[in-house]
Amino acid sequence: MTMNHPLVNRYVSDFNNALPQLAPAERAEVVSEIRQHIDDAMAAGRPIDEVLQALGSVEALARAYQLELLVTPRTSAAPVQPRSDRWLKIMGLLALGSLPTFIIVIVLGTIGLSFTVTGVALVAAGIADSAGALPVWVRSDIAPWLAVVSGVALTILGLLSSWGTIAYLRFVGRLVRRVVPSRASATV
Amino acid sequence: MISDWSSQLKRGVLELCILQLLREEPSYGYEIVTTLDALGPLAAGENTVYPLLRRLKSDGVLETFLRESPNGPSRQYYRLTSDGRKRLIALSKEWQAMANAVEECLHKGDSK
Repeated sequence: MTMNHPLVNRYVSDFNNALPQLAPAERAEVVSEIRQHIDDAMAAGRPIDEVLQALGSVEALARAYQLELLVTPRTSAAPVQPRSDRWLKIMGLLALGSLPTFIIVIVLGTIGLSFTVTGVALVAAGIADSAGALPVWVRSDIAPWLAVVSGVALTILGLLSSWGTIAYLRFVGRLVRRVVPSRASATV
Repeated sequence: MISDWSSQLKRGVLELCILQLLREEPSYGYEIVTTLDALGPLAAGENTVYPLLRRLKSDGVLETFLRESPNGPSRQYYRLTSDGRKRLIALSKEWQAMANAVEECLHKGDSK
């Protein structure tokens, strides 16, 4: 039941006029909440003078809101990086990291893959050659033992390069996560 | 003055109590104020509780929604957001640690 008591109406409208600094939507909610409080208290049987006295003067109540909403620093439940800042950091990472990443992935990655494949093939060919079981479509110009030894060496080089590429990519991943935290990890 | 001291003390604790009151179910301003009043020393007065509720809302710890009331226009209710739940857990731990330390401190004084 909305109490249309003149004292209540005056208090509410004075209170509304005392809050010019709040955004219109916020102000409307604040004022309607105080009106609701008065209605609830009167519905509970409390006399109107007592209810308004407990709320305090319009000016003091408005000041309390201003202090809480405009002056007190935020509790900041979820510190989220400003968008522009996030994008600047992402751009910076791209500018600084794209060339080294390009070179390392192309060079190390390619060496890793091709050396490993060639190395394993050479070892197989060397073993087959020494057993006299080389297929007719394969012609070997080097001694079988040389093929095996160089094959092993190439495989080792290839695996090392692959490992280096993977390690580098992991490092970049960690770096990106640290510089640009996701929203989920930022809330903790 | 003692009342100054206890109002300073209450400022921070009040937030924890409001979050805790809203942990199980949503509530509205008048109900929150009267519940706190009934708790004696935690009685804070309308002109503290209502502005604090709005700040907790603007901080994203609480959110509001409208619900029909049995006698009249729909009421503005408050409930915890997921950030509010996290904050409640964090503040409870903080309070527990603080209360234990103060307790220990008082007993140290006793034994001398």
